[in-house]
Amino acid sequence: MRIDYHIKDKIDFYIVIPVLLLLLLGLIAIYSSTFNNPLAQNNFEKQLYFALSSIFIFLIIHFIPTNTFKIISIPSYAIGIILLLLVLVIGKKVSGAKSWLGLGVFGFQPSEFAKIATILMLSNFLSRNNNNIDSIKDILIALTIGFIPVALIFLEPDMGSSIIFFFFILVLLFWKGLSILWLVVVISPAVVALSAIFGTTTFIISLILLLGILFLLNRDLFFNGSVFALNLASGFFADYVYNILSPHQQARINSFLDPSSDPLGSGYNSIQAMVAVGSGGIFGKGFMNGNQTQLQYIPEQWTDFIFCAISEEFGFIGSITVIILFLILLGRILRNASNTRDEFLSLTQIGIFAVLFIHFLINVGMVIGLVPIIGVPLPFVSYGGSSLIVNVIMIAIVSNIYRTRKNYT
Amino acid sequence: MNRISFASLNRKAILVGVLFTVTLIFIIRLFQMQVINQQMYDEKSAGNSIKAIEQIPFRGVFYDRNLNLLVDNIPAYTLRITPADYDTSLNKILDAVLDFDEGTVSNILKRNRIYSKYVPIRIKRGIDFRVVSWLEENSNYLPGVDYIVEMQRGYPFGVMGSHLFGYSKEISPKQYQQEKDYYRPGDYVGHNGIEKAYEMELRGKKGFKYVLVDSKRKEIGPYKDGNVDKESIKGKDLVLSIDGYAQKTAEEEMKGKRGAVVAIEPESGEILALVSSPEYDLNQFSYVTTKEFLEQIYNDPANPLFNRATMSLKPPGSTFKILAAIAALDMGVINVNTVIHCGGGFTFGRFFKCHGSHGSVNVIHAIEKSCNTFFYNLIYKIGLNNLKRYALEFGFSKKTGIDIGEETAGLITDEDYYEKIYGKNWPRSILASLGIGQGEISVTPLQLAYFTAITANNGMSYKPHVVKGYLDNNTGKINKYEFPKIKTSVKKEVFDIVKEGMFLVVNGNGTATHIRSNKFKIAGKTGTAQNPHGKDHALFIGFAPYENPKIAIAVVVENVGFGGTHAAPIAKKVIEAYLTKGRSINKEDKIFTEVIQTGEEIAD
Repeated sequence: MRIDYHIKDKIDFYIVIPVLLLLLLGLIAIYSSTFNNPLAQNNFEKQLYFALSSIFIFLIIHFIPTNTFKIISIPSYAIGIILLLLVLVIGKKVSGAKSWLGLGVFGFQPSEFAKIATILMLSNFLSRNNNNIDSIKDILIALTIGFIPVALIFLEPDMGSSIIFFFFILVLLFWKGLSILWLVVVISPAVVALSAIFGTTTFIISLILLLGILFLLNRDLFFNGSVFALNLASGFFADYVYNILSPHQQARINSFLDPSSDPLGSGYNSIQAMVAVGSGGIFGKGFMNGNQTQLQYIPEQWTDFIFCAISEEFGFIGSITVIILFLILLGRILRNASNTRDEFLSLTQIGIFAVLFIHFLINVGMVIGLVPIIGVPLPFVSYGGSSLIVNVIMIAIVSNIYRTRKNYT
Repeated sequence: MNRISFASLNRKAILVGVLFTVTLIFIIRLFQMQVINQQMYDEKSAGNSIKAIEQIPFRGVFYDRNLNLLVDNIPAYTLRITPADYDTSLNKILDAVLDFDEGTVSNILKRNRIYSKYVPIRIKRGIDFRVVSWLEENSNYLPGVDYIVEMQRGYPFGVMGSHLFGYSKEISPKQYQQEKDYYRPGDYVGHNGIEKAYEMELRGKKGFKYVLVDSKRKEIGPYKDGNVDKESIKGKDLVLSIDGYAQKTAEEEMKGKRGAVVAIEPESGEILALVSSPEYDLNQFSYVTTKEFLEQIYNDPANPLFNRATMSLKPPGSTFKILAAIAALDMGVINVNTVIHCGGGFTFGRFFKCHGSHGSVNVIHAIEKSCNTFFYNLIYKIGLNNLKRYALEFGFSKKTGIDIGEETAGLITDEDYYEKIYGKNWPRSILASLGIGQGEISVTPLQLAYFTAITANNGMSYKPHVVKGYLDNNTGKINKYEFPKIKTSVKKEVFDIVKEGMFLVVNGNGTATHIRSNKFKIAGKTGTAQNPHGKDHALFIGFAPYENPKIAIAVVVENVGFGGTHAAPIAKKVIEAYLTKGRSINKEDKIFTEVIQTGEEIAD
């Protein structure tokens, strides 16, 4: 057996280099945004330690046998569910949501771990039999696997993570080959639920649209009627849930509808974030010179609003750099997933793609005012230990599969 | 079997499409925000973090004519609350510490709710040192509560000057609407007196300090190292024409009485003293004015807020005989030798009484004795319209145009006035009492003093004013304000005759011989205004020294009786205070020693 020592064969630079650059940019921005803040004095150092230790984690996962992932998928999923249940009982409350488990010195978010576990579990299930995924039984099992953690996370309540789970479950089903009709069936209750929160008019419009699409794709009256009934129920349920939602989440939804309506309240972050980004200009105000960042106009900017700091201090050049790095990274994962013929590994990679992509979409989107303010970090850039380590693990999995790609393509 | 749809190229293409679309939208959006609209966001960002702090300049102080400091600025502590940081459960404690009624702090906060909760609200000005040290000790338990040092008016000379100086108070919403370009809500502006009339000079020019603030509006440091800051400019220090000693004496003399004293330097129209009594304590307005004080002052039957010196209207009584004499002499209807017989009264339709039987008197002795009969006759020789013409020339029946505050015009009637009321054949008997300054005739104390000043200075003076100019603190010189000159058409001989009569009132056998002074020759005229509602009002006008008048004065004391008894002694005290203390400081004055010498000659 000839061992190929060419490093390009072992490590995918299109994955590793963007990640390293994003990490570096993140560290610079965290340094700048926490420098003047007494509440976050050690955040830069902490993040640096996390970054260094994540390199070791990366190397370990990069070199373990690729079939490990399939083997651990079921136990890790079980552990994930147990942790999610545990956090509901003994979790620590951070900004209105019970999503943290104390683990010695470091806090730990089970929902982060559950992401990987659910991706592996669902990929495992979907790749187990090459049956037609359009069978109702398989779809229901897949949805159950996916939505148990979603339901548990929703109870914390952590809307950001719930949306992320919903999204990657959907992408996994899509990648598996779920028909358009069934995709409509899965997505529509969520869309209708959202429109019900916006108001009665949008609720009715979305129902009419749904009926149109259903009859375009399918003539089965009974089937369409059931889907319609399901949607109707989900709309009313959403309205009910909205009313029992915790105030900070209600306010976040409301302020998205009109951020300027409450400039010092929930809309505040959105406005200040946009001001920070816009005022950066082409070349930015310079490292440590962004007044929005340095004067702490955005609370805890080093976490979910880190993109503002980069945009303000390094301008259009800086923000475009971040976007391009994500484009390269995500495009590469997508390409790798597409090239992997093993269904489990392909699905796993597409799940990872979906998780990173939805983080990127929501985080950057909310900072530039295109998406509501949802507490979602920017992968590799935002401050935060569990999020960084989980993201690095996911990248390491992709990298591991790339290393052994010759066995699976 | 489903290999076709799993990870199909179609599905990959869709995901690639989504990825590129999202990226493209982000890039377009970022380009729009950071390149196209950068300026708009930049302005917002600058407005966010740069705060302009107004620097309120020191208000100009008041000096008297000898540069004694009458009104200055003294530091006072003001307790403030910043609602954003404040815990309303502290309301009760603060009420107790500040000696407020319960609920006062909460009421003040409620009243100011319209302003940003990051702007501190003044709760009490002039808190005492005990409270300040309490604040210092407990500052950890008092979030959002602080104190600042602010300037507040002080009156170091011991002059009250309530109607003269006036006070400042928080700008009214109405005035704020009119002068938005300079003032801000909560600013103090002159409300009356000199403080109001000279507001523009006194207020100086606000400065601005620019500081960087964080998202909680907390100051981080100076903006551009303070290079763009604008220094505030101190208000002008006014030099008043007031003589501190004369003013103080007049105030002390009027204590417990109702009425007014106005003294004027005849040759310049400069007001030396202006007192309206009762006064009120201006210090009470320097602090956050208490409800009790306002209630007390508004309900006081003596109405202390009313400026009697420029606004109260009284018949001039016998002091008006001087004007009648001037008119008659100047018109030539009488001369110094014209004699009228007084047998105790005058008959015109009915009998008009004189207070004695003066025999044959000329105009000089008629003034000396205040003979009514002479002036009953005189008014018919002059004619009402002519009297009115002279009255207007001497400043009656119209506003004098004094440089402070409100004043009233008063009324001298003419023939048209009675024709309108009674028709062509109005009863001419009305004239008789007008001739002696009674009946339908009203003047202010200021007008009387002004008239006396013009008379003393032989028909020439300046528009009355209380401010001479302002002190240039760089050069130490006084920049004088200009006031219009007043000159009557009356011949000088007329004044000599009338003034001789006034001299005899005090120094002959007149009605005010008891104020004869061995230091100065005082000339004057007493008056008693009949008051249908109670005791008569006592009046006195006078000037001194007789040969070279340096002070002309009018005194009105309400509801006390005869003018010679109650008003004249006050005038004497004020004249004395001015000529001995006030003027003695004036180096250019050499007349003073002469006055003493001549004064000794006439001493009895």
